[in-house]
Amino acid sequence: MKRIPIDKAQPGQILAEKLTRHDGVLLAGQGSEITEGLLRMLGRMNIDTVVIEEEETRSAAEVEEEFRRFSEDLEARFVRIDEGSVLIALKKTMLYLAEKSRDETLALMADPAEGETGLPGSAAAPETTPAESPAAPSGGKSPGAPGAAK
Amino acid sequence: MTDRQPPMQDRTQVRRDIRRIKNLPTVPGIVAKISRMVENPETSASEVGRLISQDQVLSAKVLRMANSAFFGMSRKISSISQALVILGFEVVKGLVLTSSVFDMIQKSMAGLWEHSIGCAAASGAVATLLGRDDAEEILVAGLLHDLGKVVLALNLPEEMRQVAARVASGGVLFYEAEHEVLDYDHSELGQWLAEHWNLPESLAEPMRLHHRPEKAVLKPECTAIVHVADIIVRAKGFGNAGDLLVPPVSMAAWEMLGLRKTDFLPILEILEPKLASLCDITSIN
Repeated sequence: MKRIPIDKAQPGQILAEKLTRHDGVLLAGQGSEITEGLLRMLGRMNIDTVVIEEEETRSAAEVEEEFRRFSEDLEARFVRIDEGSVLIALKKTMLYLAEKSRDETLALMADPAEGETGLPGSAAAPETTPAESPAAPSGGKSPGAPGAAK
Repeated sequence: MTDRQPPMQDRTQVRRDIRRIKNLPTVPGIVAKISRMVENPETSASEVGRLISQDQVLSAKVLRMANSAFFGMSRKISSISQALVILGFEVVKGLVLTSSVFDMIQKSMAGLWEHSIGCAAASGAVATLLGRDDAEEILVAGLLHDLGKVVLALNLPEEMRQVAARVASGGVLFYEAEHEVLDYDHSELGQWLAEHWNLPESLAEPMRLHHRPEKAVLKPECTAIVHVADIIVRAKGFGNAGDLLVPPVSMAAWEMLGLRKTDFLPILEILEPKLASLCDITSIN
């Protein structure tokens, strides 16, 4: 999901969060489609941003490539951190979340219908490791479930 | 960082450089006025609200931040007086200050504003996880922690260029490069600015000690949270604080907060959607 200014919003985009008037009255529910009429109404009400579902425009290979670049950059940022530091758990947790997000994206691409139900927005508990994902391309490489790292 | 308590002679070097700063950034007039009003116990929220509302551009910026993903309000805050009631004097004052220096932060260093709002969101996330009831104030401290870098970039451009060159040569944190070039770092410029502007300790101490949080005495927890938040937002690679490295954590600060390694997951889960939603204030103009 992504928050965008109202002038960038397009009819057909899907709201990732409900839209309410300043006094709390519901204008459009989560998951509803943005229409021309809704945009005109929001303009009149001084609502300047909406949160939309992001359309996936990347290919599976690009998703993999993006993850690879992310983990490289992450390693580079942590180059000054000793292996014994508590901050290694921060690095592992970030890697774990990135792997989870990659696997969810790839699963969604493989079977969009399956993915719809598995879109809780926020992550599941760390005990549910990415291993249950059908796409797990990283083989046996465990991200080191951060919960294990006390 | 636990070492690097600056030796005594550094103080004179800082003073000498500060004397060279010709264009002292003045405390935004409206912030000084609000501070004076708030000191008077007779002052009501609506009086302060009226004062801020007189400046429409400023009010719009403050309201945009108050309604941003930072605070995650379920209802829109539509007036300054409402913001004062919901967020409190100190937070609104911090947002007024931030709005007033926003242009300065943006002009000083590419990526510093994004680093600042990222650190604010991370400070809020850590404070929330720790169950602090002053999470909003700690968030504002995160927002302003690097103001010393703004002073450096805008007033000592030649030194700034040397520091940037040293960082670009690799492996060096911005504040280490500052020590090599200047014998002091932005946290001391921040301290000077905080004194000059008469900022409250909840903002001043994190500005001064976010790299040495174990030295904090007045607001040790707030300072420690900003220290950890700075590390987290650098780890995320959100914005640019002058270098792209994760600095070491102060174990004294870590232990004082009672944080555990397993806390990173819930902190990041609070933080990530906030960072994704902060695009509406990456430019508040």
